[in-house]
Amino acid sequence: MAELLSGSLNMLLVEPETLLRRTVSLTARTLGLGQIHEAASPEAAQRLLRSLPFHGAVIAINCQGPTDCPYDLTLLDQIRAGESASPANLPVAVLAENATSQLLRELNQRNIDRLILKPFRARLLLDAFAAFEALNPAQKSGK
Amino acid sequence: MLAAPIPFNDPERLAALRELLILDTPPEARYDKIVQFARDEFDVPIALLSLVDANRQWFKSKVGLDVCETDRSISFCGHAILQDDLFIIPDTLADERFADNPLVTGFPHIRFYAGAPLIMPSGYALGTLCLIDSKPREVDFTDMAILATLRDLLLQELLPPTEARHG
Repeated sequence: MAELLSGSLNMLLVEPETLLRRTVSLTARTLGLGQIHEAASPEAAQRLLRSLPFHGAVIAINCQGPTDCPYDLTLLDQIRAGESASPANLPVAVLAENATSQLLRELNQRNIDRLILKPFRARLLLDAFAAFEALNPAQKSGK
Repeated sequence: MLAAPIPFNDPERLAALRELLILDTPPEARYDKIVQFARDEFDVPIALLSLVDANRQWFKSKVGLDVCETDRSISFCGHAILQDDLFIIPDTLADERFADNPLVTGFPHIRFYAGAPLIMPSGYALGTLCLIDSKPREVDFTDMAILATLRDLLLQELLPPTEARHG
Protein backbone atom coordinates (compact mmCIF):
# COMPACT_ATOMS: atom_id res chain seq x y z
CA MET A 1 0.00 0.00 0.00
CA ALA A 2 1.32 3.41 -0.93
CA GLU A 3 2.33 5.59 1.99
CA LEU A 4 1.30 9.19 2.35
CA LEU A 5 4.01 11.34 0.89
CA SER A 6 5.02 14.35 2.89
CA GLY A 7 3.99 17.52 1.05
CA SER A 8 2.19 15.54 -1.66
CA LEU A 9 -1.58 15.64 -2.01
CA ASN A 10 -3.30 12.30 -2.28
CA MET A 11 -6.02 12.13 -4.88
CA LEU A 12 -8.30 9.26 -5.77
CA LEU A 13 -9.37 8.41 -9.31
CA VAL A 14 -12.07 5.78 -9.72
CA GLU A 15 -12.44 5.00 -13.42
CA PRO A 16 -12.80 1.62 -15.15
CA GLU A 17 -11.20 2.66 -18.46
CA THR A 18 -7.49 1.86 -18.13
CA LEU A 19 -6.17 4.22 -20.81
CA LEU A 20 -7.99 7.24 -19.42
CA ARG A 21 -6.97 6.37 -15.88
CA ARG A 22 -3.30 5.89 -16.75
CA THR A 23 -3.18 9.02 -18.89
CA VAL A 24 -4.59 11.17 -16.11
CA SER A 25 -2.43 9.59 -13.43
CA LEU A 26 0.84 9.89 -15.35
CA THR A 27 0.11 13.40 -16.61
CA ALA A 28 -0.84 14.57 -13.11
CA ARG A 29 2.56 13.39 -11.95
CA THR A 30 4.23 15.43 -14.70
CA LEU A 31 2.18 18.48 -13.73
CA GLY A 32 2.90 18.05 -10.02
CA LEU A 33 -0.77 17.63 -9.15
CA GLY A 34 -0.12 15.33 -6.22
CA GLN A 35 -0.23 11.58 -6.20
CA ILE A 36 -3.15 10.00 -8.00
CA HIS A 37 -4.21 6.66 -6.55
CA GLU A 38 -6.03 4.64 -9.19
CA ALA A 39 -8.98 2.33 -8.68
CA ALA A 40 -10.59 0.46 -11.56
CA SER A 41 -13.67 -0.55 -9.59
CA PRO A 42 -15.78 0.61 -6.64
CA GLU A 43 -14.44 -2.34 -4.64
CA ALA A 44 -10.85 -1.28 -5.20
CA ALA A 45 -11.83 2.30 -4.35
CA GLN A 46 -13.40 1.20 -1.07
CA ARG A 47 -10.17 -0.48 -0.05
CA LEU A 48 -8.19 2.68 -0.81
CA LEU A 49 -10.72 4.92 0.93
CA ARG A 50 -10.50 2.83 4.09
CA SER A 51 -6.71 2.90 4.20
CA LEU A 52 -5.73 6.41 3.03
CA PRO A 53 -6.94 9.94 3.70
CA PHE A 54 -7.46 11.80 0.41
CA HIS A 55 -7.56 15.49 -0.49
CA GLY A 56 -9.90 15.03 -3.43
CA ALA A 57 -11.55 12.35 -5.53
CA VAL A 58 -12.82 11.94 -9.08
CA ILE A 59 -15.28 9.07 -9.16
CA ALA A 60 -16.97 7.44 -12.16
CA ILE A 61 -20.42 6.24 -11.22
CA ASN A 62 -21.92 3.31 -13.07
CA CYS A 63 -25.45 2.51 -14.07
CA GLN A 64 -26.84 -0.29 -11.94
CA GLY A 65 -29.15 -1.71 -14.55
CA PRO A 66 -30.32 -1.40 -18.14
CA THR A 67 -33.60 0.35 -17.34
CA ASP A 68 -33.80 3.98 -16.26
CA CYS A 69 -30.07 3.78 -15.48
CA PRO A 70 -30.11 4.35 -11.73
CA TYR A 71 -26.57 5.22 -10.72
CA ASP A 72 -24.70 3.45 -7.95
CA LEU A 73 -23.95 6.18 -5.40
CA THR A 74 -22.69 3.85 -2.67
CA LEU A 75 -19.16 5.22 -2.70
CA LEU A 76 -20.38 8.79 -2.40
CA ASP A 77 -22.67 7.85 0.48
CA GLN A 78 -19.84 6.11 2.31
CA ILE A 79 -17.59 9.15 1.97
CA ARG A 80 -20.27 11.60 3.10
CA ALA A 81 -21.18 9.34 6.04
CA GLY A 82 -17.58 9.49 7.22
CA GLU A 83 -17.04 5.80 6.49
CA SER A 84 -13.56 6.36 5.10
CA ALA A 85 -10.20 7.67 6.22
CA SER A 86 -10.96 11.00 4.54
CA PRO A 87 -13.02 13.88 5.91
CA ALA A 88 -16.74 13.56 5.16
CA ASN A 89 -16.61 16.82 3.22
CA LEU A 90 -13.91 15.50 0.85
CA PRO A 91 -14.07 17.44 -2.46
CA VAL A 92 -15.52 15.06 -5.05
CA ALA A 93 -16.09 15.29 -8.79
CA VAL A 94 -18.32 12.71 -10.45
CA LEU A 95 -18.08 11.21 -13.95
CA ALA A 96 -21.40 10.11 -15.43
CA GLU A 97 -22.72 9.05 -18.81
CA ASN A 98 -25.49 11.64 -18.75
CA ALA A 99 -27.25 13.97 -16.38
CA THR A 100 -30.86 13.39 -15.45
CA SER A 101 -32.72 15.74 -13.16
CA GLN A 102 -32.85 12.92 -10.62
CA LEU A 103 -29.09 12.45 -10.74
CA LEU A 104 -28.47 16.18 -10.38
CA ARG A 105 -30.74 16.22 -7.33
CA GLU A 106 -28.97 13.22 -5.81
CA LEU A 107 -25.54 14.75 -6.38
CA ASN A 108 -26.66 18.07 -4.98
CA GLN A 109 -27.87 16.33 -1.83
CA ARG A 110 -24.41 14.82 -1.48
CA ASN A 111 -22.59 18.14 -1.96
CA ILE A 112 -20.76 17.01 -5.07
CA ASP A 113 -18.45 19.75 -6.30
CA ARG A 114 -18.38 18.97 -10.00
CA LEU A 115 -20.12 16.75 -12.56
CA ILE A 116 -18.21 15.68 -15.67
CA LEU A 117 -20.24 14.18 -18.51
CA LYS A 118 -19.15 12.01 -21.44
CA PRO A 119 -17.01 12.28 -23.47
CA PHE A 120 -14.52 12.10 -20.62
CA ARG A 121 -11.34 13.92 -21.50
CA ALA A 122 -8.14 13.62 -19.52
CA ARG A 123 -7.94 17.39 -19.57
CA LEU A 124 -11.22 17.79 -17.66
CA LEU A 125 -10.17 15.30 -15.01
CA LEU A 126 -6.83 17.04 -14.59
CA ASP A 127 -8.65 20.36 -14.22
CA ALA A 128 -10.71 18.80 -11.42
CA PHE A 129 -7.60 17.60 -9.61
CA ALA A 130 -6.00 21.02 -10.07
CA ALA A 131 -9.07 22.60 -8.46
CA PHE A 132 -8.77 20.21 -5.51
CA GLU A 133 -5.11 21.12 -5.18
CA ALA A 134 -6.04 24.80 -5.03
CA LEU A 135 -8.27 24.00 -2.04
CA ASN A 136 -5.28 22.56 -0.17
CA PRO A 137 -2.42 25.05 -0.57
CA ALA A 138 -0.96 24.38 2.90
CA GLN A 139 -0.65 20.63 2.39
CA LYS A 140 0.74 21.14 -1.10
CA SER A 141 3.57 23.26 0.24
CA GLY A 142 4.23 20.71 2.97
CA LYS A 143 3.38 23.12 5.79
CA MET B 1 9.99 24.48 -48.01
CA LEU B 2 12.63 22.97 -45.80
CA ALA B 3 12.93 19.26 -46.55
CA ALA B 4 13.00 16.99 -43.51
CA PRO B 5 16.66 16.88 -42.44
CA ILE B 6 18.44 13.55 -42.22
CA PRO B 7 20.00 12.97 -38.78
CA PHE B 8 23.71 12.11 -38.72
CA ASN B 9 22.94 8.74 -37.17
CA ASP B 10 20.22 7.78 -39.63
CA PRO B 11 21.71 4.39 -40.64
CA GLU B 12 21.79 3.27 -36.99
CA ARG B 13 18.33 4.77 -36.39
CA LEU B 14 16.92 2.87 -39.36
CA ALA B 15 18.55 -0.34 -38.12
CA ALA B 16 16.85 0.14 -34.75
CA LEU B 17 13.53 0.72 -36.51
CA ARG B 18 13.85 -2.40 -38.63
CA GLU B 19 14.79 -4.49 -35.60
CA LEU B 20 11.26 -3.92 -34.34
CA LEU B 21 9.89 -5.80 -37.39
CA ILE B 22 6.92 -3.44 -37.40
CA LEU B 23 7.09 -1.75 -40.81
CA ASP B 24 4.26 -2.72 -43.18
CA THR B 25 2.54 -4.86 -40.57
CA PRO B 26 -1.26 -4.75 -40.14
CA PRO B 27 -2.97 -2.36 -37.73
CA GLU B 28 -2.98 -3.43 -34.08
CA ALA B 29 -5.61 -2.54 -31.53
CA ARG B 30 -3.09 -1.70 -28.81
CA TYR B 31 -1.68 1.15 -30.94
CA ASP B 32 -4.97 2.18 -32.51
CA LYS B 33 -6.58 2.59 -29.09
CA ILE B 34 -3.98 5.14 -27.97
CA VAL B 35 -4.02 7.04 -31.28
CA GLN B 36 -7.82 7.19 -31.25
CA PHE B 37 -7.70 8.40 -27.65
CA ALA B 38 -5.28 11.17 -28.71
CA ARG B 39 -7.58 12.30 -31.48
CA ASP B 40 -10.60 12.37 -29.18
CA GLU B 41 -8.72 14.05 -26.35
CA PHE B 42 -7.49 16.91 -28.52
CA ASP B 43 -10.49 16.98 -30.86
CA VAL B 44 -8.33 17.04 -33.98
CA PRO B 45 -9.30 15.51 -37.32
CA ILE B 46 -6.12 13.43 -37.67
CA ALA B 47 -3.87 11.53 -35.25
CA LEU B 48 -1.07 9.23 -36.36
CA LEU B 49 1.57 6.83 -35.14
CA SER B 50 4.17 7.61 -37.79
CA LEU B 51 7.42 5.70 -38.26
CA VAL B 52 10.12 7.45 -40.27
CA ASP B 53 11.69 5.02 -42.74
CA ALA B 54 14.54 5.75 -45.16
CA ASN B 55 12.44 7.46 -47.82
CA ARG B 56 8.94 7.55 -46.37
CA GLN B 57 6.94 7.99 -43.21
CA TRP B 58 4.71 4.98 -42.70
CA PHE B 59 1.68 5.03 -40.43
CA LYS B 60 1.38 2.08 -38.10
CA SER B 61 -1.81 3.62 -36.79
CA LYS B 62 -3.91 6.32 -38.38
CA VAL B 63 -7.16 7.96 -37.44
CA GLY B 64 -8.76 10.41 -39.85
CA LEU B 65 -6.36 9.79 -42.76
CA ASP B 66 -6.71 7.20 -45.50
CA VAL B 67 -3.17 7.07 -46.86
CA CYS B 68 -0.65 4.67 -45.32
CA GLU B 69 2.55 6.61 -46.07
CA THR B 70 3.97 9.84 -47.47
CA ASP B 71 7.37 10.88 -48.76
CA ARG B 72 9.85 11.49 -45.94
CA SER B 73 11.17 14.72 -47.44
CA ILE B 74 7.84 16.50 -47.06
CA SER B 75 6.96 14.91 -43.72
CA PHE B 76 6.57 16.96 -40.56
CA CYS B 77 7.48 13.91 -38.51
CA GLY B 78 10.84 13.84 -40.28
CA HIS B 79 11.52 17.16 -38.55
CA ALA B 80 10.04 16.05 -35.24
CA ILE B 81 12.41 13.10 -34.84
CA LEU B 82 15.32 15.53 -34.62
CA GLN B 83 13.83 17.19 -31.54
CA ASP B 84 14.51 16.30 -27.93
CA ASP B 85 10.92 17.06 -27.02
CA LEU B 86 7.60 17.95 -28.61
CA PHE B 87 7.62 19.66 -32.02
CA ILE B 88 4.76 22.12 -32.31
CA ILE B 89 3.81 24.19 -35.37
CA PRO B 90 0.80 26.33 -34.31
CA ASP B 91 0.23 27.72 -37.82
CA THR B 92 2.07 26.27 -40.79
CA LEU B 93 1.28 29.27 -42.97
CA ALA B 94 3.20 31.48 -40.57
CA ASP B 95 6.25 29.20 -40.66
CA GLU B 96 8.49 29.53 -43.71
CA ARG B 97 9.75 25.96 -43.28
CA PHE B 98 6.27 24.62 -43.98
CA ALA B 99 4.13 27.31 -45.65
CA ASP B 100 4.68 25.87 -49.15
CA ASN B 101 4.88 22.22 -48.10
CA PRO B 102 2.64 20.08 -50.36
CA LEU B 103 0.89 18.70 -47.25
CA VAL B 104 -0.01 22.30 -46.38
CA THR B 105 -0.89 23.63 -49.83
CA GLY B 106 -2.73 20.40 -50.72
CA PHE B 107 -4.40 17.48 -48.96
CA PRO B 108 -4.63 17.15 -45.97
CA HIS B 109 -4.09 20.93 -45.72
CA ILE B 110 -2.13 20.87 -42.48
CA ARG B 111 -2.33 24.13 -40.52
CA PHE B 112 -1.46 22.76 -37.08
CA TYR B 113 1.01 20.02 -36.22
CA ALA B 114 2.12 18.61 -32.88
CA GLY B 115 4.51 15.68 -32.86
CA ALA B 116 5.92 13.80 -29.88
CA PRO B 117 9.07 11.93 -30.91
CA LEU B 118 9.21 8.24 -30.07
CA ILE B 119 12.70 8.10 -28.61
CA MET B 120 13.81 4.59 -27.71
CA PRO B 121 16.09 3.85 -24.72
CA SER B 122 18.91 3.57 -27.29
CA GLY B 123 18.39 7.27 -28.05
CA TYR B 124 17.09 6.75 -31.58
CA ALA B 125 13.88 8.55 -32.50
CA LEU B 126 11.94 6.14 -34.68
CA GLY B 127 8.84 8.19 -35.34
CA THR B 128 6.17 10.21 -33.63
CA LEU B 129 2.74 10.32 -32.15
CA CYS B 130 1.35 13.32 -33.96
CA LEU B 131 -1.77 15.46 -34.10
CA ILE B 132 -2.87 17.35 -37.21
CA ASP B 133 -5.54 19.97 -37.68
CA SER B 134 -6.65 21.95 -40.70
CA LYS B 135 -7.01 25.01 -38.45
CA PRO B 136 -4.30 26.86 -36.52
CA ARG B 137 -4.19 25.96 -32.83
CA GLU B 138 -2.37 26.84 -29.65
CA VAL B 139 -1.38 24.30 -27.02
CA ASP B 140 -0.61 24.90 -23.36
CA PHE B 141 1.55 23.06 -20.87
CA THR B 142 -1.22 20.67 -19.87
CA ASP B 143 -1.88 19.75 -23.52
CA MET B 144 1.80 19.06 -24.02
CA ALA B 145 1.96 16.95 -20.86
CA ILE B 146 -1.01 14.84 -22.02
CA LEU B 147 0.51 14.34 -25.47
CA ALA B 148 3.84 13.35 -23.90
CA THR B 149 2.05 10.84 -21.66
CA LEU B 150 0.29 9.24 -24.63
CA ARG B 151 3.61 9.08 -26.45
CA ASP B 152 5.15 7.34 -23.43
CA LEU B 153 2.31 4.80 -23.41
CA LEU B 154 2.94 4.11 -27.10
CA LEU B 155 6.64 3.67 -26.41
CA GLN B 156 5.83 1.06 -23.78
CA GLU B 157 3.92 -0.85 -26.44
CA LEU B 158 6.71 -0.50 -28.99
CA LEU B 159 9.45 -1.72 -26.71
CA PRO B 160 10.23 -5.42 -26.44
CA PRO B 161 8.73 -6.74 -23.16
CA THR B 162 12.05 -6.90 -21.32
CA GLU B 163 12.96 -3.29 -22.18
CA ALA B 164 9.46 -2.05 -21.38
CA ARG B 165 9.68 -3.52 -17.88
CA HIS B 166 12.94 -1.76 -17.16
CA GLY B 167 12.23 1.40 -19.16
